[in-house]
Amino acid sequence: MSLLVVATYPVSGGPVLSGQVRSEGGVLHVGEIPVPESQGTSAMLGAACAVSDYLGTPAPHALIAGDIGRGDGTRAVYAKLIQTVQELQPGVVAFHYMQPVMALMRKAVCDLEGVSPQPLLVADAGGMYAAKAAGVADRFELMTPDVGEVGFLADPDVTHPAYVSHYLFGTKGFDPPELIRLASQKGGSARVLLVKGKMDHISTQGEVVGTVEHPDVSALEAIGGTGDTLTGLAAGFMAAGFPTVDAALCACRANRHAGLRMQATPAMRASDLVAALPEVFAEHLCGWGGACAAV
Amino acid sequence: MIFGRSKRQGKMSGDALGIFLFDEVSSAIRAEKILAAQEYEVALVAPPHHLRAGCDLAVSLPRIEHIGAQRMLEDADVVVRDWVDDTDGIAQVCDLVTVADFGEWLMVRAGNMKITVERATGLIVNTSGGGCPDIPYLNIELVGSTVWEAPRPKDLGYTLCGLMLDRAFCEVRTLLGCEPA
Repeated sequence: MSLLVVATYPVSGGPVLSGQVRSEGGVLHVGEIPVPESQGTSAMLGAACAVSDYLGTPAPHALIAGDIGRGDGTRAVYAKLIQTVQELQPGVVAFHYMQPVMALMRKAVCDLEGVSPQPLLVADAGGMYAAKAAGVADRFELMTPDVGEVGFLADPDVTHPAYVSHYLFGTKGFDPPELIRLASQKGGSARVLLVKGKMDHISTQGEVVGTVEHPDVSALEAIGGTGDTLTGLAAGFMAAGFPTVDAALCACRANRHAGLRMQATPAMRASDLVAALPEVFAEHLCGWGGACAAV
Repeated sequence: MIFGRSKRQGKMSGDALGIFLFDEVSSAIRAEKILAAQEYEVALVAPPHHLRAGCDLAVSLPRIEHIGAQRMLEDADVVVRDWVDDTDGIAQVCDLVTVADFGEWLMVRAGNMKITVERATGLIVNTSGGGCPDIPYLNIELVGSTVWEAPRPKDLGYTLCGLMLDRAFCEVRTLLGCEPA
């Protein structure tokens, strides 16, 4: 299987880029064009590349366009999505930093259901916001919300995490298993959820099936892009053939161990975490259930 | 006041409200700024569910002030999509702010967005959270500047995530107090 990442990059008016992703001297390139390092898509792609480099599986393919919040790049990638999927026939399609436009996401999911073979769908960030708000979350295989975002998935009346009520936002009485159950019950959830937090929760159809809390590297919350690397890892493992729950568990463990290895402080970068991943894989991946079976 | 109802709007809560709708979040933010500066009693809110397209933000104000406010926005070239005489189903932007202590660094969360600064200098060392496309852009623009010299995220950003980051940014400024000499 291969991974297609549908997203944006933070350059105003940047053109649509479609191609395999590779890392050259720590700088990501889509085809021959370098992508600016930042939180968001480059962090996600960097982690997915680390997985494919280590496992020897196909590098991720990116379909991305420049967008700094006006939605122009988002519309441009949606316009090329189906053609790209038909050409590549990816096993996994991941929607990431995009303007949450419900109508575009609804159409994309509908169109993807007509593609054969059907890819597994992953969503994080704006892609996840759009999928939930558009009422198509249950068509997705995996979503990767953080503690605030799982409240958003559980609340059927809101279309963006900025409108989530206090009691759903990771404060006193915060109950991830209950929010996961609610999100699934209300149709706001993918089949599998990976809820990022002090303790990561992995659920299937509303029931928690695994948790990861060690090592505890609290500084990772402050570093922009460490949630994106987690999504990139999970999507990369899925594209390598891991069952989704195993992919999510391995992603949580790898992200935390990379944080430990880089001796994370709040002033570090997601690229520091990506750089630590190969050593983490070499030391731990075979020991994590099912991981080596897919290599 | 950016979040929630303004004091004046709160006092006159008996007044019937309506909302301006916009195609872009940045237009709503700009409209709120312009109208608030002219003492209009405005608030940034989510439009009713049936009027939402995704990442939406609207401006509510008393219906009686609609025409004057609309003229002011036209004069300022702010594009308004529509006016609705109905606020049933609107939602307030989350105003929850929490702080995390990382010793040398301070992290402030506002809703789904976070900003981390060096305590001694106010240097922005990271922004995180969110999922709209202006967030990586704001990360590049803000990290490496102090909160005193950096532009406000809501003046650079275009989305609700950018607006929440602005809330965290303002809270950091308040917590740090005066700019170091």
